[in-house]
Amino acid sequence: MIKYILASLIFGAVLGYLNSNWGNVTAGVWVSDYVFNGSLMLLVFVMGLVFGMDKESMGKIRQAGFKILVVPFAVACGSILGGAVGGLILRIDVVAAAAVSAGYGWYTLAGPLVGQLFGTEWGTLGFVVNFLRELLTIVSISLLVKIDKHAPVAAGGATTMDTTLPIIVQYCSSGELITAFSSGFTLSLAAPFTIMIIATLR
Amino acid sequence: MASLTAALVAGILSGYLLRNKRHVNLNKVTMGVIVMLIFSLGFSIGSNNKLLGSLPQVGLNAIVIVLLAVGFSVVFVKAAGKVAGLK
Repeated sequence: MIKYILASLIFGAVLGYLNSNWGNVTAGVWVSDYVFNGSLMLLVFVMGLVFGMDKESMGKIRQAGFKILVVPFAVACGSILGGAVGGLILRIDVVAAAAVSAGYGWYTLAGPLVGQLFGTEWGTLGFVVNFLRELLTIVSISLLVKIDKHAPVAAGGATTMDTTLPIIVQYCSSGELITAFSSGFTLSLAAPFTIMIIATLR
Repeated sequence: MASLTAALVAGILSGYLLRNKRHVNLNKVTMGVIVMLIFSLGFSIGSNNKLLGSLPQVGLNAIVIVLLAVGFSVVFVKAAGKVAGLK
């Protein structure tokens, strides 16, 4: 399955590049907005459908209870610490590096917000780091799932409530749906706050 | 975010109501839509000249930070899972 995903990612990127640089054959926004959002909504619906039909799924959630929030909390701590360590290694602003990785993969938020708080060059880094996080999760999912059951959710960060959700459910199980969605949801809520809180440390 | 949550809840409810009906295999459909989703994701990446232009500029720093952020997240979740007894 991963080869179809990689092929469609690369094929899409090449076509998108050609389309925007050599005469707009189709309005790019049609593909990157309507097709994207349409397929995303459909997928999330289907994931819910499969989950709802699974007789054991509700029991699994009840068993996990509030423990399910342990995952996003660990992801947030890990991301921020990872960013700070990266800042130390690279000898760049540690606080800004931590803020950059507190986007948890939500690049459309982290780019502009970090840019506003730390300056344009950090905004660019914020955009690219979080974009690469989503890409890395998609590309390495078959490897991640071997490390730990929740590793794909950990890697995906805030993206596990949308883009990476269908891939995670396909690779793990429909039981992972709620862990992934709730973790992505919590981290999406947390991202703007943690970035702003980290910014006050500087 | 609100519309995604609505789609998920609608899906779960429909699944719950259809629980005892004949099961359909949705794997092939899902796979097809995933390919479409990833294709359009790739398309918007490829069309984003600003993003492509800034990649070489911040590339190395970005790669180091993202690998550490993801690595620490995975380790923390694995450790937290053991401590909290997540199954």
